Amino acid sequence: MTATSPRHASADDPRVILDEQVGVFEPIPPYPPRTEREAEFYTLKDGEMFINMGPQHPSTHGVLRVVLKLDGEKVVDLDPVLGYLHRGVEKLCENADYHQVISQVDPLEYVSSLFCEWPPVMAFEKLLDVEVPRRAEYIRVLSGELNRVASHALFMGWMALDLGGLTPILWSFIERDEIVEMLAALTGQRMLFNYFRIGGVNGDLNHEFMSRLGDWMSKATTQIEANAGLLNENEIFVRRMRGLGTIDTATALRMCMTGPNLRATGVPFDVRRAHPYSIYPELDFDIPTRDEGDCLARYLLRIDEIRQSIRIIDQCLHQMPDGPIAAKLPRLLRPRPGRAYAGIEGPRGQYAAYAISDGTDQPFRMRIHDPSFIHLQSVGLLMPGNLIADTMAVMASLDPIMGGVDK
Amino acid sequence: MSKKTRGAGARGGDAPGSAAATDAPASTALAVRGTTSVVEPIVVPNTLWRAADPTAYGGGQESDITHLREHELDPEFRRDNARWTGPLEVIPTKADYVLDLIRMNSLWPLLSGLACCAIEMMSAATSKNDMDRWGMFPFRASPRQADVLIVAGTLTTKMAGPLVRLWEQMPEPKWCVALGDCTCSGGRYKRSYSTIEGIDRVMPVDVYVPGCPPRPEGLIYGMMKLQQLIKDRRGHWPERAIGPTVPDEV
Amino acid sequence: MDPLFRRRLEARFAERLTGPIRQRHDETEIRIAPGDVPDTLRALHDEPEFGFEFLADLAGVDTGEVMQVVYHLWSETTPDWLRVIADGLSRDDPRVPSVTFLWKGAEWMEREAYDMFGITFEGNRDLRRIYMPPDYQSFPLRKDFFLADDAARSPGGGVRHMERTHAPSNTKTAALIRKATSG
Repeated sequence: MTATSPRHASADDPRVILDEQVGVFEPIPPYPPRTEREAEFYTLKDGEMFINMGPQHPSTHGVLRVVLKLDGEKVVDLDPVLGYLHRGVEKLCENADYHQVISQVDPLEYVSSLFCEWPPVMAFEKLLDVEVPRRAEYIRVLSGELNRVASHALFMGWMALDLGGLTPILWSFIERDEIVEMLAALTGQRMLFNYFRIGGVNGDLNHEFMSRLGDWMSKATTQIEANAGLLNENEIFVRRMRGLGTIDTATALRMCMTGPNLRATGVPFDVRRAHPYSIYPELDFDIPTRDEGDCLARYLLRIDEIRQSIRIIDQCLHQMPDGPIAAKLPRLLRPRPGRAYAGIEGPRGQYAAYAISDGTDQPFRMRIHDPSFIHLQSVGLLMPGNLIADTMAVMASLDPIMGGVDK
Repeated sequence: MSKKTRGAGARGGDAPGSAAATDAPASTALAVRGTTSVVEPIVVPNTLWRAADPTAYGGGQESDITHLREHELDPEFRRDNARWTGPLEVIPTKADYVLDLIRMNSLWPLLSGLACCAIEMMSAATSKNDMDRWGMFPFRASPRQADVLIVAGTLTTKMAGPLVRLWEQMPEPKWCVALGDCTCSGGRYKRSYSTIEGIDRVMPVDVYVPGCPPRPEGLIYGMMKLQQLIKDRRGHWPERAIGPTVPDEV
Repeated sequence: MDPLFRRRLEARFAERLTGPIRQRHDETEIRIAPGDVPDTLRALHDEPEFGFEFLADLAGVDTGEVMQVVYHLWSETTPDWLRVIADGLSRDDPRVPSVTFLWKGAEWMEREAYDMFGITFEGNRDLRRIYMPPDYQSFPLRKDFFLADDAARSPGGGVRHMERTHAPSNTKTAALIRKATSG
């Protein structure tokens, strides 16, 4: 460029901008280490090295950064770094109306939005002592189980995509698009539904929804079997996943896991049966469990859950009562001061909300408990000894959604 | 080209004097004003290691190139870019038109979904709403191979650094599509303490696709608009425009 | 609502409770001092008549005067959720012993409570920020951390016309703002 450019950068060189505070980039390793675990993680033994799987990486989980400590190709330890999608939902909820909270918590676990709306709505109903009409409960369960099927279908596609298979994700999205168009006919939105209201739901079942649902139900089971059959017999898929990331029951309970990850280790804990809510006591469904606790077990378990969900949807359709779809509530809600906790079984595990009200029209504290956040802690336990390529497989099998992890 | 001295610790926008002298077009009436300076380059000198072979990596000398901005203003370099045509700057030649057609029909997005809109981006890329019809199927994982950065999802302050780094790593010509309300203006998280109210605060945006989340057809419409922008040789940066750019009110 | 469960709790933990046991809908709530957290939770976890093996949630709460850490537990022995509130942490230096010796999965939940409130969990091996960047100075969910346009909610209503929003006002925050700015 110019003939007299200095060879070594100096502070006076106009082309070099030395920034004192580059706060967003943490040096690896951070020095001095801030905690015991950091000191343990960031000391390298002979032959080890760090690789940063940065917030943007080919897997589709979202913005998760994982610092891997490697010995050759084997992962010795890993440290997930979160927060790249932290949107401050809990603080925003404290400054919003009770009705606005529902639309704020929607994008937390965005593939299963209805399960994100359900616990806050249940907690507020407890604070207000509102009874939800039976028809509304049935519609909630019906749309919820549809969302569970869509979420698990997406899990199947992502699981295969992280192992390298590009076809199953396309099949999963076909499944998901059908269900999501159905829910769009019901709620008006494809993804962040904003459908549940305190005391019921927003709109009744309509003709388009019922016709789409009928079409889907007539071929749902065969379609799920076809999708599962694409992968279940695939030798590469099965051999890569069998025996990978095995968790035993004691570890799972110690890591506070819930949902399919816990049931794959043999514990039949399902919030729908352990602590029944809504109209689940009236419905007849099984809780699938598996004993092996590896990635393959988690995958097969979620396929089983899809079958149970279809069963529940069928029963809901047959038993649907008539009646109002929402309790009558004033627009300006001032619940009694108090605390309420509501937990439901989402596709990833126990999704819960803890609401504290102080008598005003805004929640005093809206705490969301997200299962993906809890499950991501276990990745550090499961990975040592495996290869880098298996990192993605293990994380996909735990099915985290970064919106929920980072809130 | 005048170089303003930027000493140690200088932060913030480009020195306005040097930028205005070369970048502002003659008539400012219709130009998109925005920031003409891309976000500050992140320059970290290498103090960590030394190559074993002393002649490797250019002999251990500092590179002359610290930021593409220097190249944008360098007349010799501009030949490699779709938007320059050298001495015939005002009249695009047929070859450049064909190059633009090639580029617009094979836009390769970067695989960078941040949040919920990423699901709709994937939905637009899969079978039902197929983006492969326009040549956009390969979502490249490496920014060096990608043409267009579709920012799908809320940008938080922690992620802003890596995202801008990705943007800067993408080679020219590149375009940016802001997908979803959160990237256009902050969306439902506008009041939050940790989100960035719209990615046009940190990078230049060519197409805004609003919605929360926008339907896949909406994204496809946005991509078709981007193709139209490329074909008509318009875009965000006014100094690259051949003819009028999209006016402010539009 | 499980009255037998309430009696069992009162019988076992009578001296540690700092307030009455409250029951509403399907939740039972006990309050203890922060120092009693490890013993109480270990008793609830290990003893077979309680058997609270499952930690459902660990949350921090800032009431404006004090801070609290709230644990939600589930057991097969009772149909209620059990809520254990470690009450009375000071807002200047909130400290609570960690429960990671019982549930390793509480580690990140405690990190989140630290990141959002500044509550130090003694015994947590990995107490660093989890959501905010590592050099972030504030604790966002504290009641004295105001979002950017909360100036509009102040009794003065903001300075400029654009700052007056017509959203419902938060009297609690306004009171805290008054207290924070005056005291």
